Amino acid sequence: MSPDILDETTEVWFGPQHVSAHGWAAKLTLVGDYVVECDPNAGYFHRSAEKCLEFRNFRQGSLIMERLCMLEAFLAEYPYIQAVEKIAELEVPERAKVMRTIMMEASRIHSLQFWWGQFSAELGLFAMLLWPWVDREFFLDTFEELSGSRHAVSYSTPGGVRYDFNDKVLRKLDIALERFEDRMPMMRDMLMGSPTFRARTEGIGQYTLKQGLKFGLSGPPIKACGLPMDLRKDAPDPNLAYDMIDWEVPVTESKEHPGESDAYDRMVQRFKEMETSVEIIRKLLPLVPEGPIIDSKARAKANRLPEGEAYGRVEGTRGISTLWLKTTDKAQTPYRAKIRGPCFNSYYSLKHLVPGAKFADFIVVFGSLDPYPGWWDR
Amino acid sequence: MSEGAPISAATFGRQIVNKFPGVECIPKEDGILECIVPADKIRDVVGMIDEEIHDAFPESVFGVDLQEDKYELIYIFWSRTNRTQYHLRVSLEGSNPEVETVCDIFPGMEWHERETHEMFGIGFKGHPDLRLLLLPEELEGKFPLRKSFVTNRARLEEADRTPAKPNATEGGASD
Repeated sequence: MSPDILDETTEVWFGPQHVSAHGWAAKLTLVGDYVVECDPNAGYFHRSAEKCLEFRNFRQGSLIMERLCMLEAFLAEYPYIQAVEKIAELEVPERAKVMRTIMMEASRIHSLQFWWGQFSAELGLFAMLLWPWVDREFFLDTFEELSGSRHAVSYSTPGGVRYDFNDKVLRKLDIALERFEDRMPMMRDMLMGSPTFRARTEGIGQYTLKQGLKFGLSGPPIKACGLPMDLRKDAPDPNLAYDMIDWEVPVTESKEHPGESDAYDRMVQRFKEMETSVEIIRKLLPLVPEGPIIDSKARAKANRLPEGEAYGRVEGTRGISTLWLKTTDKAQTPYRAKIRGPCFNSYYSLKHLVPGAKFADFIVVFGSLDPYPGWWDR
Repeated sequence: MSEGAPISAATFGRQIVNKFPGVECIPKEDGILECIVPADKIRDVVGMIDEEIHDAFPESVFGVDLQEDKYELIYIFWSRTNRTQYHLRVSLEGSNPEVETVCDIFPGMEWHERETHEMFGIGFKGHPDLRLLLLPEELEGKFPLRKSFVTNRARLEEADRTPAKPNATEGGASD
């Protein structure tokens, strides 16, 4: 007589060597095919970014920030810049505001294309891995033309931006956008209409809006529940250009389970996010004014900051990323910098969202939250 | 989830002070309500945020080392309806300061508290899981984000590693 597998639990480590687990690991306790306990482990990428920031001056700090999430580098570095600009009371030229916003949105599209490919691959749909990644290359070309680097762009700097737009950059950005607009709807319909994809994602990792908020989820995982919580609209930054144009925060409201979201809704939401980003870029491109790209006194002013505290926040691709900065008088480096990555909370929430799911669905719950290890390990 | 009418930062600040007289609330610009909360009142104030603000979003909790065994804990909540950030500041003293956990009210704070514990040595009473989160085991109890944590070459000797050789002052010689 064979023993009943439901009589005992099995512990399985998902990662860190698993191909889907790029630098993280979760200990899953299984009964049969069902996960009863999930213990996400962090720390595999920990590089003590907060301590490092205490030893870098205010122009160098953003370089550490962008390395936390290379996929959304333009967005990841921004909370630091915003906090420094608040303490130093820097004025940002109009041209730099618009250019920053355009590049941040381009970075959002590129980051979501990466996630979309990777998520499809995690579900075993490998064709969808490479198609969006090919289109993503065109955005990377734009970044390379603009800053000389595909990922570590170091674009924003306190008081403005480092690199100016030129014809080549604009042409490359236009090619990337056109290619995206041309091919995305076709690929989206192919993926979302696929019965395999629907079967794997519908009803998986479902939570209510209230639960999501309590777990500290933000960005697309919350907007997929129907709440348009978006810092771009709710707390517009005077040094960005989101208030110069008309646009709507996209939300997804499921007909089957209103006020809740599952993996499928979050996928729908992220496609909407990409469309909104394209819309914002298209509307802002004609509005780029002439003028300087950086306040000429910014460099000197950011050298030594007065005593102060500031809280920089940005609506990143994955949710709200923030940086809390404390400076002492005339110091060249921060006294304390605290980074809040959106994925810190989405990775944590696996502890609550995974139990009850099948083992094979674990990666679907994980992937649908779009976590990036750099954001939680820092 | 029912949408309530927005409560302004000043009104909510007054509500907190009326209910908990030890708390001090200062509405600031940029839609920030700063509350200075005594350590024993933090659960009450966080509980009130949870009850009164239906879309309270736990952003962060973190420590600041003010040196000479003084610490500050800052809790940050965001409400979209009220367009207000709630910054709750708690002052702590002593070499092993302790405060009550709020992670049963807002589960999203659990890991933030866990990280603050390993980095600053601030205890959270009633926290279900205070294992190390990001640090390797050899740094347990060393509290790296405290200002007293040494980060220079002296640590190499502590770890039984030879410090890197200084750069040669003159060229040409090799050993």
